[in-house]
Amino acid sequence: MDRNGMAVVARLRGVTKTLGGRPVLNAISLEVRAGEVTALLGPNGAGKTTTVGVLTGRFAPDAGEAELFGLDPGRPAARARIGVVLQSAGLPDVLTVRELVSLHSGYYRRPREIHETMALAGLEGLEKRRAGALSGGQLRRLHYALAICGQPDLLVLDEPTTGLDHEARRRLWSSVRAEADAGTAVLLTTHYLEEADALADRIIVIDDGRIVADATPSGIKADVAGSTIRCRTMLPDPALAALPGVRSVRRSGGAATLLVADGAVAARALLGADPSVSDLTISAASLEDALGDLSATIRKAA
Amino acid sequence: MENALARPAGVFARESVAELRKNLRLPQFALPTILTPALFYGLFAVMLNKAGPGAAAYSLATFGVFAATGPALFGFGAGVAVERENGLIELKRVSPLPAGAYICAKLVSAGAMAALALAMIYALSLIGGVRLPPEQWALLVIVHLLSVIPFALLGFAIGMRVGAKGAIAAANALYLGFSILGGLWMPITILPGWMQQAAWLTPSFHLGQIALSTIGVPPQGSAPWHVAALVFITAAAAWLALRGWRRSPA
Repeated sequence: MDRNGMAVVARLRGVTKTLGGRPVLNAISLEVRAGEVTALLGPNGAGKTTTVGVLTGRFAPDAGEAELFGLDPGRPAARARIGVVLQSAGLPDVLTVRELVSLHSGYYRRPREIHETMALAGLEGLEKRRAGALSGGQLRRLHYALAICGQPDLLVLDEPTTGLDHEARRRLWSSVRAEADAGTAVLLTTHYLEEADALADRIIVIDDGRIVADATPSGIKADVAGSTIRCRTMLPDPALAALPGVRSVRRSGGAATLLVADGAVAARALLGADPSVSDLTISAASLEDALGDLSATIRKAA
Repeated sequence: MENALARPAGVFARESVAELRKNLRLPQFALPTILTPALFYGLFAVMLNKAGPGAAAYSLATFGVFAATGPALFGFGAGVAVERENGLIELKRVSPLPAGAYICAKLVSAGAMAALALAMIYALSLIGGVRLPPEQWALLVIVHLLSVIPFALLGFAIGMRVGAKGAIAAANALYLGFSILGGLWMPITILPGWMQQAAWLTPSFHLGQIALSTIGVPPQGSAPWHVAALVFITAAAAWLALRGWRRSPA
């Protein structure tokens, strides 16, 4: 049990991993708790999939410790309690949806009824369809069905909604939410901020193999609450950074993006310093801006 | 803590049934490996045979080994490589399925395909006039079915190391190479001297000689030697296969 009274089902402590000579994870520490959806959020190549690989026993850490239900994740007794959706995994084209769900249900001690799994994954009516004849979205749902069919205590979803349309994504979210509300620990990786924001109780931001932030969605937003100013200006970056309340400055093309504590104060100062400013917009900082800011801060500190 | 593992016996059986289903629904894979040995045997040992039932019995022993190599090399070598590349093995490995069940299912299915191919050869041999005492038949069937194991292990070792395309090419090369060098199509005495020496390195040669000795044909060299060599080759293949499984990140 941790301080919130939720059981910790999976834990990494100072995990470092090098794959193919490239350092992928750098001293990653995290906890996944029962009844919570934990989102591992970060850009492609940040180390999300490798983190999942260490937690599910596919990779042994080079340094640090990985624990799954208090056991080494490579142990079959630990794997017996997890369900996993991998980012990409082929299924035998010639087996039917029902055959595959029934086969995987048989791997677990207390599987769900097949029809219940079908309903939860939104696969009703597709039972007799062969896996090779499914659309991309249906195939993702089948993978989800294989992950939940055993009523796992930990559900691991690596980019579960990639390739799903809006409607299917919403359905999957509510199904994942229901699993967590029933006490399952859920760990999902995503590069969609919207997904992490909508679904997660906790967001762990990972970038370049390091954990950049670990907080609730609102906590992460509060850390960097403020406004975003976008404009075209002749001022150099150091001059922009010296304006009141500016946290970060980024450039793309001719436009500058400033993350600031108070939009109105910074905008007045900006107009005072450079009367030729054009295309000026002020908006509330999005989670995306906030995370970009966090990553940049960490990089500077490193 | 309560044991959360599913009952292994059921898992092994269900995985094997699923694997058999996969094979039977992919006739483009299953048919060539089942039909090729029967076609070769029927043509060379029965239809074009001018030397009588003795020659047909000799060929029956060696072609039976040939019939076992196809499903074993292709099912394991190519099959495992494809399933490793597309991520299915990774999915099995993060699931609670015991690793042994995946391998056992593949072995059962290769054995079943080999049994079908063998049944066709046996039927053809009866048509060709081959008559053996029941105890010789029994021993021959056992040797033929056990032939699947060394080839399956070799195929598995290849499949865990090589990509899908490379594994198919390697399986084809071994399929032909083992058949010719092992004397499965014709006695190796008609081959050049260096090829006759290379034959001793192949599991097919030893299996062919053991199969021949079960029907009373004296083997080249001594039978215990062939058994010892085969055990050694099989153990080496098993070691390579296990290392490939452990090392592969996928």
